[in-house]
Amino acid sequence: MNDDNHAGAFETMVEALRARLTEGNWESWSPEEFDRRARAAFEVQFEACSPYRALCERRGVTPTSVARWEDIPAVPAAAFKHFLFDSSGSDSSVDASTRALFRTSGTTEGRQSRGRHVVPRLDLYRASLVEPFRRGLLPDRASIVFLSLVPSPDEVPDSSLSFMVGAAAERLASEVVWLMGKDGGWVEHASDRVAEIRASGEPVLLLGTALSFLHLVEDGGNALSRLPEGSRIMETGGFKGVRRTVSREELYRDIEGSTGVPRARIVNEYGMTELLSQLYEPVLTEGAEAFGVHRPPPWLAVRALDPTTLAPLPDGQEGVLAFFDLANLGSVCHVLTEDVGAIEQGRVRLRGRATGAEPRGCSRAMDELMSAAGQRR
Amino acid sequence: MSGSVGFGSGAPAQPDLEDLRRIIARLRARTHTLRARPAAEIRDALGRVGARFLDEADELRMRALEVLPTEAHLSVPMARTVLDGMARDWTGERLGALLRQELGDPTLLDGLAFRPGDDSASRRLEMAVGPSLCVQIVSGSVPGVGVNALLRSLSVKAPTLLKPGAGDRVLPTLFAEGLRKEDPALADALAVVYWPGGTTELEQVVLDAADVAVVYGSDETVSTLRARAPATTRVVTYHHRVGVGIVGRDAYPQVVREIARSVVLFEQRGCVCPQLIYVERGGAIPPEGFALLLAEALEALERELPGPPSTMEDASALQQLRGTAEMMAGQGGMEVHHGGQAGSWSVLFEPEPTDGPWSGPRAIRVRAVDDASLLSKLLEPLGPHLQSVGYAGLAGRAAELAEALGRVGASRVVPFGALSFPPPWWLHDGRGPLLELLRWVELEGGVR
Repeated sequence: MNDDNHAGAFETMVEALRARLTEGNWESWSPEEFDRRARAAFEVQFEACSPYRALCERRGVTPTSVARWEDIPAVPAAAFKHFLFDSSGSDSSVDASTRALFRTSGTTEGRQSRGRHVVPRLDLYRASLVEPFRRGLLPDRASIVFLSLVPSPDEVPDSSLSFMVGAAAERLASEVVWLMGKDGGWVEHASDRVAEIRASGEPVLLLGTALSFLHLVEDGGNALSRLPEGSRIMETGGFKGVRRTVSREELYRDIEGSTGVPRARIVNEYGMTELLSQLYEPVLTEGAEAFGVHRPPPWLAVRALDPTTLAPLPDGQEGVLAFFDLANLGSVCHVLTEDVGAIEQGRVRLRGRATGAEPRGCSRAMDELMSAAGQRR
Repeated sequence: MSGSVGFGSGAPAQPDLEDLRRIIARLRARTHTLRARPAAEIRDALGRVGARFLDEADELRMRALEVLPTEAHLSVPMARTVLDGMARDWTGERLGALLRQELGDPTLLDGLAFRPGDDSASRRLEMAVGPSLCVQIVSGSVPGVGVNALLRSLSVKAPTLLKPGAGDRVLPTLFAEGLRKEDPALADALAVVYWPGGTTELEQVVLDAADVAVVYGSDETVSTLRARAPATTRVVTYHHRVGVGIVGRDAYPQVVREIARSVVLFEQRGCVCPQLIYVERGGAIPPEGFALLLAEALEALERELPGPPSTMEDASALQQLRGTAEMMAGQGGMEVHHGGQAGSWSVLFEPEPTDGPWSGPRAIRVRAVDDASLLSKLLEPLGPHLQSVGYAGLAGRAAELAEALGRVGASRVVPFGALSFPPPWWLHDGRGPLLELLRWVELEGGVR
């Protein structure tokens, strides 16, 4: 396939997939359809993305050798720090408004390099994120006021989380109040607007990272206390770059204390820069039963794998999590994460991250030192 | 809590604040009696206990070997090899050599004496005084580091409180138990207690009480603890460091086996483990070929010195490392050899330096270098964290290299075969380990 043909085929697939992901009828997805789309995506990515092709060829896998999507090699999430995976086949100089380059926040583990995710077609990302967001956070209403502790996409254009909140707001927010700037400071006049909203009794959706909630709680959280009845919260992410960590349940108790939003209305979102699709705890529809389990959309296949053999594990058994995300069509769909968890009836029970273990001796990683020295210069 | 804190056969108990204060008071009460004993007598008592860890039939050694693999997360053969290598230095003979090496005359610890060999007109009487209380805060899971630490401070007559690393608790606990049997009075001057690193209140109590505090750990840990110590507590720090290797043009292929051993010993947890090996161009073994030979040697060692049962964390890290490396390899950026599912080793040959998730239990990187003399420049960024340099095949050039690398920051330049187990008198972080603990007093004009 030459480049023009590839780019054409890619565009056709994006359009078809975009239409499919916007449909609300999740039950209509069959395993056969997923498999067909996954293998078609692999064909495109194998052709266009040379580092990925290199990995597949080393493992003796080509589009013709693949019988089922499970046979498609997964890219280690760490590789996003070292490669740009672009499967669009298009020249990156084309219209920048359709493309984005997202970066991980990258302060964890003392590593300097940040993961990067090329998104050649933002409209595909936009299409993929709304329906899972709606089901997870607004199953009971068409729109709601967004109060966001996540900085706006204008403030942080390379954050996939900011983009997501912005794109969801375009479709589902009756109003959005950006509370935080990128430096973590409170946006001017935001609290005035919050006070008016609280007085109106209109329910809100408060969104933020675990870290932003931790700061909110530590600061007393007065500006967001006693949120109106029917309000709900989306919490996401870990505690990157901070020494103090609290357990999720501790944090949720504190959030409940500061905002008045009950634990049963606090929804955890599980997402990562390397994956364009997100998973939500379906607590708003299923209640406490759903604490700790995340539901993927039907275009995101989730598996727990034996960390040594990469063989899939039976339901309930913990392994490293691998995701095949059709929304990642523009980069690589199959990603092997460093997260540990188990699959329970198609959902993910997350245990944590397999990295960041305690230093185990008097040795330390060399690259960290080399790059730290490089930065000082 | 009973008075037997730290002397039981199980893992040391975690004290509360009151326990810890009581332990400190008990140790401090031993300062004078300990100082009144001849250094040689202390050395011999310690050596007799240490030697028990080398005796196949001894119950202390057997109990140590039973617990070590689980506690330190090492395979059984590896635990045995590590214990042999470490305990070799715990005998009276080796401790005596350490004392002589550092003090010249160990009786300088017993009273005023002239420094041996000093015949100058200005010679004076001197005495070495050990800490009235030495606190050793050790981290990590390299077995034996805790015992090394307590031997150093007891050898200079300091009542010692040891907080071992999370994965190195059994050996100091057993040592304390053996010492109780061997020499109860000396055992009264030792306490082994455990708390997880970062337990601020307990750390503060010992920092305030210690005469000398020795802290092992990450840069962050040592700088935090140093900052919290009062001016009157001397803080000796050993931060985390790295090891590297150089294979010169004159190396024989046989040396690869020794190099492979140095890579697997301690599973890349120590500053004696090389993480990166430079191979000189123009020798009998081209750098790419060396990487392959090293891979074969590592594969052979999987049977003799297997890695520990794989954890989720290690196996996951290995997947990330190998997958990323394979992608770079596919694009011509490096060559990768690894042990597949059965072997935890990975060899990465880098024609050009690369950046990747390359830390792993048996991950080793190989780079080519035109000449060993370029090494000091290449390693300059590592300076304050450089510790050990293993070498082979340098013919007459080792001294020149050691001088250059020493100026950059290295403290130990040794043949690969000696890399893993430095002797007790090694210049740990470039400093004499006993001298770090001592204070000197001098008498002028006095006649003895």
